[in-house]
Amino acid sequence: MAEMRPVDIAAASPASQTAEEAVSLPPEQPSTPPREWIRQNLFSTPFNSALTVVFGLLVLLTARGLLNFTFSEEREWDAVRTNLRLLFTHAYPEEQYVRIWVCVGTIAVLAGLSVGLAATTARGVSVKRLSSGLMALGAVVALGVVLREPSALSNADGSVRRNDSGVIRESFAEAMVDRWGWWLAAALLATAGAALWFRFGDERRRSTFVPSVELFMGVTAIVVLSAWVYPWGHYAFTDGEFIAEPGRTVAMSTKLPWTVMWLLLAVALAAGRRLRQAGAGSNFTLALNLCWLACPFVLYWVVLRDPDLDWDRVLSVDIPLGVLFAAGGAAVLWLLTDQRIGELGRIIAALLLGLAAFNWVAAFWGWYPMLQKVRLSFLLVALAALLAHNFAGDRSKRLRLLTVWAVVMAVFHYMATLMNSPSSVETPTEAFVGGFGVTLVVAAFTLLLSFPLGVMLALARTSKLPIFRVMSTSFIEVIRGVPLITVLIFFTIILNLFLPDGMEISVLASAVLGYTLFSAAYLAENVRGGLQSIRRGQFEASDAVGLTALQRTIFIVLPQSLRVSIPPLVGQAIATFKETSLLAVIGLFDVLRMANNVIPAQTEFLGVKREGLLFVCGVYWIFAYSMSKRSQRLEKQLGVGER
Amino acid sequence: MSNTDKATLAATQSRRPPLYRDATVLKWLAQVAALSLVVFALYFLVTQAQSNLAKKGIATGFDFLSAPLGSDLSSGIDTDPDTSGRALWVGMVNTIRLSIGGIIVATVLGVVVGVGRLSSNWIVKRISSVFVETLRNIPLLVQIILIFVVISTLPRVEINQGPIPGWLHISNKGVSVPRVFISDGFYQWLIVVAIGAALGWLVMRRRSRLHDATGRDTYPVASFVAVTAAFAAVGWFVHPVFGWVGNVFDGLASGIGALTEQTVQILLSVAALLVAVLWIRRFLAQHRSPAGRAKLSDDDWFRVIFAGVVAVLVAIFVNIGWPGLSSWIINSGRDLFEVLGDKFGDGRTGQPIDAKRPDIEQPGNFPNYGPAGLNLTQGLAAVYFGVVFYTAAFIAEIVRAGILSVPKGQTEAAQAVGLRRLTMLRRVILPQAFRVILPPLGNQYLNLTKNTSLAIAIGYSDLVQVGETIYNQTGKTVEVVSIWMLFYLTCSLTISVVVNFFNVRLKIVER
Repeated sequence: MAEMRPVDIAAASPASQTAEEAVSLPPEQPSTPPREWIRQNLFSTPFNSALTVVFGLLVLLTARGLLNFTFSEEREWDAVRTNLRLLFTHAYPEEQYVRIWVCVGTIAVLAGLSVGLAATTARGVSVKRLSSGLMALGAVVALGVVLREPSALSNADGSVRRNDSGVIRESFAEAMVDRWGWWLAAALLATAGAALWFRFGDERRRSTFVPSVELFMGVTAIVVLSAWVYPWGHYAFTDGEFIAEPGRTVAMSTKLPWTVMWLLLAVALAAGRRLRQAGAGSNFTLALNLCWLACPFVLYWVVLRDPDLDWDRVLSVDIPLGVLFAAGGAAVLWLLTDQRIGELGRIIAALLLGLAAFNWVAAFWGWYPMLQKVRLSFLLVALAALLAHNFAGDRSKRLRLLTVWAVVMAVFHYMATLMNSPSSVETPTEAFVGGFGVTLVVAAFTLLLSFPLGVMLALARTSKLPIFRVMSTSFIEVIRGVPLITVLIFFTIILNLFLPDGMEISVLASAVLGYTLFSAAYLAENVRGGLQSIRRGQFEASDAVGLTALQRTIFIVLPQSLRVSIPPLVGQAIATFKETSLLAVIGLFDVLRMANNVIPAQTEFLGVKREGLLFVCGVYWIFAYSMSKRSQRLEKQLGVGER
Repeated sequence: MSNTDKATLAATQSRRPPLYRDATVLKWLAQVAALSLVVFALYFLVTQAQSNLAKKGIATGFDFLSAPLGSDLSSGIDTDPDTSGRALWVGMVNTIRLSIGGIIVATVLGVVVGVGRLSSNWIVKRISSVFVETLRNIPLLVQIILIFVVISTLPRVEINQGPIPGWLHISNKGVSVPRVFISDGFYQWLIVVAIGAALGWLVMRRRSRLHDATGRDTYPVASFVAVTAAFAAVGWFVHPVFGWVGNVFDGLASGIGALTEQTVQILLSVAALLVAVLWIRRFLAQHRSPAGRAKLSDDDWFRVIFAGVVAVLVAIFVNIGWPGLSSWIINSGRDLFEVLGDKFGDGRTGQPIDAKRPDIEQPGNFPNYGPAGLNLTQGLAAVYFGVVFYTAAFIAEIVRAGILSVPKGQTEAAQAVGLRRLTMLRRVILPQAFRVILPPLGNQYLNLTKNTSLAIAIGYSDLVQVGETIYNQTGKTVEVVSIWMLFYLTCSLTISVVVNFFNVRLKIVER
């Protein structure tokens, strides 16, 4: 528990200390003695006493039922333990597994850096709460040991011993003795809590705070270390079909990677903090956010998919095309950012836009074929040309714009080439990861893509241009009026009917498309709420200093309105994450489908569903609950409604 | 400043910029371009779909609705429907029943839990928050499947089994409880009740005016309930008197059936043009200066022209582009009134509402639930309890936030003027809390209705699942999806209209 010592932390991060002091602390409450507390909170009136007794009994009975169910000898938790890999990554080939670790590691490093760089004002958990929590946990474990019915006796082959009246169980006393391990755990927890309590003798020191980051690192350290001691799961071999095979454990093969991941996280965290103390925070934050934006694309398309590039084609077609568009576009932009060009610039931009649009029309009539990415590149050139006059300026400013353009083109052509190349990773399904992995992939892409779309929809809906407003409003209302499942079915089944010959869209891509449009409609309503909160004076002021409509939107309106709508946006993100469970219905192998269809079809675990489903509940719950807690804290930090 | 200077200044001010720099023109150009882009894309996709479907040998159209369906439904008012259209209707009824039943129970449960979260009793508070935090952080689909699996692994049905035999049975076949159902003569009785409610409303309004004028207790709501109940009681016996209402509907049905397609097309075109003309008239009236002259900016001119053009296009399209529309309107209108004529028809003289207790039958080797009780099959029970608990968790949060949103000063002021605790709740706190609660509550009702579509995952025959069965058999995906969307949009619209109605009534009247 070295990580949890609050004194070190306070010494190590003076910056967070000052931030803490800036937050106004609530007045200290005089602590009530336990007896008084019980009287006030449980038995204040006869009615309250009755409620306490009834609901107390109810809680005990429910807890007993849950414990008996979970720890019953008839439960086959092996179905989950054996299939951990299946549940999280489906059938990603074993020899390529290092790719998954690279992904996890990248995310760990980014997360560590972000948390380290962020000036936190969260105070974490007080020593008082921590120690009383540990003691209470010990008490709950002890209570559970007593509540659970005595275990069933088993035969030599491991099956449960039965007679006519049912399962034969040991006596209560035997059960209590048999569960010595649990007693030990309860005692350890209680002792740890008590030790913490008495080490910080007086009331003042007990209200020292352990920052939540350190607490998190401590808990994860314990979990990772436990993998070196306890076998958390077995392997499932996926040799054509899914066969469970006992023997090597997942923990045995993943303990080293998980330890490395934890160390990466810790190092990144420390590095982030060092950078912030050195005052380099703001520069790195921008780079870091760009990394976060790029990370789903790079991790999915490059790392997990491992595209098999056809080098002849790359050298003869892809690279020349990229260079051509980078150079041509740069030339156009150089011309258009000249301050003297005036009206001519707009005409050129409009002509370019017409050309880009005509490429698509021509594709419809089949006049002249060209690569899809060439059409997209033309469109990008035209859009850049339209915006160019905003960046007109001196030589260095124009050169900077050209550099950005070249980078954009390079990235665009690189990603397009990768997406067109076949994958070298062989998986039985078209999604490269299944299980919980595909849930995360879909959720990440959906959030990333639906955010800009949602903002645009909201702007269109609040704009003064009637046709845009009507189009955006009808889109939003139609999407919000129908269930997600119908949208998903539309995109996964019908979309392929609508596409021209030779064009096909994979189930995963169309699912992401469906989720994106659905989520964008809801996001748009949240953003609209924020947009409406902006005072009229802001508009008048920006008009007064002569901002254009675009500048006003980007620099005045959006920053303020997005800040207001952050809490509902996070809520929407959680909802999207939960909705990814619908992937199972449209035929993708997500974690729910694993638990509900794949595992119960294995010969070893025929029809074993409840264990897997409970596990899925747990996984989703942990993620969604921690996200919602985080958003509540965020809401408080932002002080929405208080400024 | 000389006169010539003034003249040039006036000239530059009045001179219009060239068209390609005129902000109004550009804005409208961009909008029309975007609109035509969308229309073009839709046109492109639809033609593609038609040619692709033609290649696969699938004809488009809604004629499959009257073709027979090859499979049975798992539950509903008619488990062996003759046609696909009938099957979809059964699915719709299942969805509606699930939604209405779910909304009622979820509201009650949600309010109880939400108030429980504010209780002064620590255990009640904790249980409520555990309920909320557990249920709303697990995806609904996972919950529904889990409930389904748990019910399916319960003990088998046996004679005289159940927690309360004859009243409540729980087994692997689902749940069976007493059933209250509408019977013969219900609709005529409904007419009597409606008359009673209308009269009661008049009485209520009068009495509440009396209360405002004199300050006496006049019990307006109680008198409304009393009048309606009196009519309902009398109507129980006299409802056959209203048998003639059915004939009115029958007459309407034959009247609509007698219309020709051309008439309907012309009516539709006229309606489109009329709407445009009315809109333009109102628009012009709004932009009239005090002197009576319409002052229109360029932007306004564009609006007027656009509205006119769209109306003309719609009028032409209805007549040429979509001739099937009018016959569809005629047929469905006639069918609707025929159904109503049958429901309200003569000769339905029985008791309006009836009730039965559940039973267990054993026709062969295995006992099963009989038809008397309300049987929630595994699928129905799973979807029902799933959406109810999930929505209740969200409603609880809304109720809690609503109650917390009433400022403390309101309570203190109510206490200061000496209101009793119940009066304070009823007159001060709840009305204000309800104002905050209502809009998000309506959203939750909408979500509940939409979430019942998850029944597809466990094979309960709601609209979506029935639709899936149909398009798997016939390949009519586009048609089925459009029926789904229309149905759910109608439901959403209905709920939001109802919620908005109350919302407007509850709004604080601001000066």
